[in-house]
Amino acid sequence: MIWNRLYLIYGIATVLLLGVGAWRGFSFTSVTEVKDLPMSIRDNPGSYRSIYSSYHHYTGGK
Amino acid sequence: MTPLEPPSPPGAPRVETLACPNCGAPLAVRSMGRAVTIVCDHCHFILDAKDPRLRILQRFEAAIEEEVPLIPLGSRGKWRGADYEVIGFQVRAMIMDDITYNWREYLLFSPYKGFRYFTEYDGHWNDASVVTALPEVQADSARYLGKKYKQFQTCFAKTIFALGEFPWQLRVDDSVEVADYIAPPYVLSSETAGNETTWTLGEYVYGADIWKAFGLAGLPPTPVGVYENQPSGLRASASQIWFTFAGLFTAIFVIFTLNQFFSKQEQVFQDTYAFSPSSTTEPSFVTPEFELKGRTSSVEVKTDADVSNQWLYLSYALIDEDTGQAYDFGREVSYYSGVDSDGRWEEGSPHDRVVLPSIPPGRYYLRVEPESDARSGAMRYAVTVTRDVPVLGIYLVALAVLLLPALLISWRTYNFEQMRWAESDHPMKTFGGGQ
Repeated sequence: MIWNRLYLIYGIATVLLLGVGAWRGFSFTSVTEVKDLPMSIRDNPGSYRSIYSSYHHYTGGK
Repeated sequence: MTPLEPPSPPGAPRVETLACPNCGAPLAVRSMGRAVTIVCDHCHFILDAKDPRLRILQRFEAAIEEEVPLIPLGSRGKWRGADYEVIGFQVRAMIMDDITYNWREYLLFSPYKGFRYFTEYDGHWNDASVVTALPEVQADSARYLGKKYKQFQTCFAKTIFALGEFPWQLRVDDSVEVADYIAPPYVLSSETAGNETTWTLGEYVYGADIWKAFGLAGLPPTPVGVYENQPSGLRASASQIWFTFAGLFTAIFVIFTLNQFFSKQEQVFQDTYAFSPSSTTEPSFVTPEFELKGRTSSVEVKTDADVSNQWLYLSYALIDEDTGQAYDFGREVSYYSGVDSDGRWEEGSPHDRVVLPSIPPGRYYLRVEPESDARSGAMRYAVTVTRDVPVLGIYLVALAVLLLPALLISWRTYNFEQMRWAESDHPMKTFGGGQ
């Protein structure tokens, strides 16, 4: 009985969290937030390098 | 005139004292004339309590070392609303697969309620009484007062040690057939000797409750393993939890359906670009601005590239025009295919999709920085931005979060039942299919 009650509380908390997450468009994608970028990027995109630049990747294929 | 004796208070135990005809040791008789046999504590002679001269019925050598009852004879306590006194103790044994299992039985007597027993095996206790109606035995079960009991075990048992008084003709080493049927926390037991069968109904009780009721010193023995009628605290919980899980699953499904239905999934930007990796000009650029409307919600960025045995990496930054807040992320689009001795193969995809979490409303643009192998030829790719798309992943994670405790409790319940039935004549089948 006590286990079911605890599980119910745990489950309701999970569902509420899910509801809030779904409403606010939560996803598990890793995104790096950077604040206060200068407006000059609009005119000079090369002046900004994100941490995802200079990617060293797998070339693929057999 | 002889003064009248003051009347005994109701329920007060009366003890008669006799002497053993063999050794002369005092014998306490507590069951008010209901004793049929008495066992002398000192010489272990079994005496006929119905005979005024206490005729000797049997003498036994203790097959085990002198066993000291955990609840001393003469202990008194209140149990299930009545006063009881422990008047008899016997150790019983059964042999299964050449292993002897001993358990202990304590006979309790109440002047108003009669007899009942405490049985103890490996620290597990049962409170048992002789039943008043005859159970109905079926193939592998028994039914008593409308309740079904599953057959657990049948064996031959005998008394190997006894102390105190008993309301039946006790004989050490006489063998009886014992059959147990269980419906935890109850056990229905039959004992058959010759043509006579006695049924008792036991209920699993905790040693601590007995110790408290009888004011015993120290602690009861710690239970070992799982006993045949030991209630599983989780068994009822497991079925309730799956019922609760079904309700929560329905709630998740409703949220998912509502989210699918109400998500705007509004395309706010799309454009196609060309990229030449061998070019020496600055590859990064920014898109025209677009508006993300409504509440804080997701943003999907799709990339479709005409790569073939090539890769294209895009370093993206979704930048808020007004606040300068950027959301940086990188995506790779790569697609390889060919034919070898195994036939045609392919790897990767020319399409990529990512959903950015919880982006506030505002005016945004994308900074895009493509990269690829300098030896690759020119390639084209399309970027599409869509506002407020549902994310399936969080629903799957929520389901996993709900499933985990339900599975854990079910697994523990299964293990508990496995341990219970491992000791029976009908062990549970394991996952491997064996018994």
